[in-house]
Amino acid sequence: MSLTFLVPLFLVGFFGIVVPIIVHLTRRQRRNVVHFPSLMFLEKIPYQEQRRRRIQHWFLLSLRALALILVAAAFARPFFDQSSIGDGGTGGPREVVVLIDQSYSMAVGDQLQEARTEAERIFGQLGPLDRASLVAFARGATVVARSTSDRTRLQGALDTLRVSSGATRYGPALKVAQTIIEESNLPWGEVYLLSDFQRNGWTGDEGIRLPAGSTVTPVPLGTGEAVDNVMVTDVSLPRQNVAGRERVTPTARIVRRGGSEPRDVDVALELDGQEIQTRSVSLAPNTATAVTFQPFTLSQPHTTGTVRLPDDPLLADNAHHFVLSPGTSLPVLIVEAAQAPSDVSLYLRGALEISEDGRFGVRTRRASSVRPVDLDNTAAVFLNNVQIDGPSAERLRSFVDEGGGVLIAFGEGGGWPASAADMLPGTVGQVEDRIQGRGGRLGYLDYEHPIFEVFAGPRSGDFTGARFYRARSLVPSDSAAVLGRFDDGSVALAELRYGRGKVVVWTTSLDAFWNDLALQPVFLPFVHRMAEYLGGRAEAVEWFVAGQVVDLADPEALETSGLVSSEAAGLVEGLDQVAILPSGGSAPLPAGDGPRYLPLEEHGFYTVRQPGSDPARPFVMAVNVDLEESNLTRIDPDELVLQIEAATGPSDGTAALGDAFELRREDQERRQSLWRWLLFSALMLFVAETVISNWASRPRSGAAGRVAG
Amino acid sequence: MAVSRARATAGGSQFLDPAVLGRIANLELLARTVVDGFLTGLHRSPYLGFSVDFAEHRPYMPGDDIRRIDWRLYARTDRHYIKLFEADTNANFSVVLDLSASMSYGSHSLAKIDYARYLAACLAYFSSKQRDRVGLVTFDHEIVDYVPPSMKHLDTILHRLDQSDAGRPGEFEAPLMQVAEMLARKGILVVISDFYEEADDVIRAIGPLRARGHDVIVFHVLDPFELEFPFEEASGFEDLETREQIPVIPSKLKGDYLAMVREHLENLQQRFSENRIDYTLLDTSKPLDMALFQYLLARERLSKTR
Repeated sequence: MSLTFLVPLFLVGFFGIVVPIIVHLTRRQRRNVVHFPSLMFLEKIPYQEQRRRRIQHWFLLSLRALALILVAAAFARPFFDQSSIGDGGTGGPREVVVLIDQSYSMAVGDQLQEARTEAERIFGQLGPLDRASLVAFARGATVVARSTSDRTRLQGALDTLRVSSGATRYGPALKVAQTIIEESNLPWGEVYLLSDFQRNGWTGDEGIRLPAGSTVTPVPLGTGEAVDNVMVTDVSLPRQNVAGRERVTPTARIVRRGGSEPRDVDVALELDGQEIQTRSVSLAPNTATAVTFQPFTLSQPHTTGTVRLPDDPLLADNAHHFVLSPGTSLPVLIVEAAQAPSDVSLYLRGALEISEDGRFGVRTRRASSVRPVDLDNTAAVFLNNVQIDGPSAERLRSFVDEGGGVLIAFGEGGGWPASAADMLPGTVGQVEDRIQGRGGRLGYLDYEHPIFEVFAGPRSGDFTGARFYRARSLVPSDSAAVLGRFDDGSVALAELRYGRGKVVVWTTSLDAFWNDLALQPVFLPFVHRMAEYLGGRAEAVEWFVAGQVVDLADPEALETSGLVSSEAAGLVEGLDQVAILPSGGSAPLPAGDGPRYLPLEEHGFYTVRQPGSDPARPFVMAVNVDLEESNLTRIDPDELVLQIEAATGPSDGTAALGDAFELRREDQERRQSLWRWLLFSALMLFVAETVISNWASRPRSGAAGRVAG
Repeated sequence: MAVSRARATAGGSQFLDPAVLGRIANLELLARTVVDGFLTGLHRSPYLGFSVDFAEHRPYMPGDDIRRIDWRLYARTDRHYIKLFEADTNANFSVVLDLSASMSYGSHSLAKIDYARYLAACLAYFSSKQRDRVGLVTFDHEIVDYVPPSMKHLDTILHRLDQSDAGRPGEFEAPLMQVAEMLARKGILVVISDFYEEADDVIRAIGPLRARGHDVIVFHVLDPFELEFPFEEASGFEDLETREQIPVIPSKLKGDYLAMVREHLENLQQRFSENRIDYTLLDTSKPLDMALFQYLLARERLSKTR
């Protein structure tokens, strides 16, 4: 072991010690000028030149010179060459990657602290040439410290780890480890996986293939014993319009996993931070129950609510947050022919008016024309079996162009002027009868479309029962989207995006004359979905799941999602915003042309407001944890390792040896960091020199004379 | 008020600290403070009444004040004689003050020139109280100011002293030669200077004054730093008069310097003594009263030998 320097060129700085000597010898001559009455006697004294050349304070000079030498030596980066000590007995330097699970299940039994301890042990076993990376993961993976031999840095990285609100996913973390090892020039790769090994985090098709020569070492954390965990898995918030006021009746679904004996659980409902109700339920092991609270009146926008359970080992899933705002009715205009029977819109109007929460405000116009005043404050227009004139079609063009939605239901008397044919999703043709047999059926529906997506699930609405006896033929244009077809392939429903709005054509009628859809149970939700889609309203998002990302630069999309009420107009104006995180931190959301993504990584309430403002009802988003993580069932770590560990063999470590030797000096110097001590010592010497020199040159009584006047 | 504070600061001593005097801006007030305090302190001393000391008898002449007839002598001789007193002689008293730049030096609150001005003011005031005619001559390398001796010139002298300032190079021989010519009538000359000349040169300059019959009293004013040379740091020493500068390492030169100063003082004292000139060395850190005391001793001796 010998002392050597990484950058010996800086040793030239040793010559800097002549600086204080020169200063010492020259500056002193120019120091003080003492005014003296007469030099009559002093001039007579024999003058000796060498007196000026004498150094008065050898100690001070030594301090200054030593400090400069230390500075120069620090810049030369000294270190003790330990290359002869060996490589730690592993046969070669290793690239160690430590993956630490920070999903919220790690809070059970303080497994994260256990992980820190294990990681410290692994870092403590690093050889002088080894390098280590620290990767924290939950749903995603974050490289906290990458490929370093600096243990101080690794320890600091460990200290920053916190339990997140995310669920466990091993795939991203192992991908990151794979990348680090692949990019490393060290011959051996080792991956340590520190986790509670939940089965939900591993699907088996992650496609991990670590480089040859790499090993994966699982480090299971926790005891593995079953945990008695009670969680809120869902909260339904149906609304009811009672005497013009919106009433919400929350129902929470409570699930208990684990445990051995039935136990009572108190379920509390909090609104705007105040606990307003508590229900007590008895839960047997591995059962679920629903808890319905008394309805409450929803009057304020952005009302925050939480269904909360008592503390248990897994805290994060004990609370379910949501945000509610009072709904507003969607204004819908039904236009029907003046000569049409009075019941032409009977089913349509009835379906729109039937809702507990009064979500639609329905107006009907019996005329062949649409006036501008009819379109004011209207979100959706249903043209039900009416022949529209040219000017009205142009007004509807403007209406659609600005974001409105129009449904054209061609019945017996329906028509559209040729001058506005470009607004239609295709060319409408003749009436086609299908009176043979039992009529036609709907053979295809686009369940990906917002109108039909709620019907995608089983038992979510059956359109096959409806019979269609007559319809208009429609040849869709290239830019149109066909949303539904009859069983003979003809178009039943087609859409054309026009400007910021949409035009939907229903090739048959909305009454019970050409079809019996209006008599089917699915008619009502179909009409509701149609009206909401045309009016630009989607189901309000009452909460998000941790890990989702919201783009706050798109207020219209937010409003469509029911996220933003009119009070949150600050978002629409594109002003600077700041998001207050559930943990109390803040995330700036500067105004700009680009997207303003807000990753929702913590569970709780995110408050968005303008910096410095304090609105009474700020825009709030509720975020809940991914309940997949609440299932603490474990996977056998060895089984997991067997799946991800590639067939290993001796790696081609010889190619890396040259680089490793070059790195050896740098790594050793970085780990020893002697330069810090040298710089610190130099600083202390400079301080001492300053103090001593000030003391030595402090003005003594009569150090200099005064001249009167 | 300033007087009472000055006394209080003196800690009961009748000698006033020069630093205290430095705070008294008015020279007349300062002189009165020092002299009156000094005289009060001498209340029981054998020097009381020196200004009415008997000088001689002369026959009574018509018109003389009959209260001054010595009746005891009349009883013995049956003739009328008048008693003449020393105080009635109205001697000329002139202060010759050196204003060369070296006098501007001061290591503490009081520069030499300040000390010298206070001393001059006190002596002038003191002499004026004795009904002497007081005058003032200030000089550097030439005569700067001249106030002829007069019993009415005290205010003028104090004003001129107040205005005087030291700043130019000094010389002794030429200006003092002029002084000898200007002061034709014999009197008491008080020369106040720091005497940065060789003793022979000083005597050569002051000798003519003595030769013209003046009673010369010399006050050699020096700062304590000039006497002790307590400097420690190597510095450049600049001559206040010539502005010449030389590097000095005090620790090395101190011994030689002090020896030379001591020799210079001894030479001056010896040469002044040989010329029957009263010489007093004054340290500006010492109270002013010491100088007055020395002056009184000289006056007493002069009155006895006259």
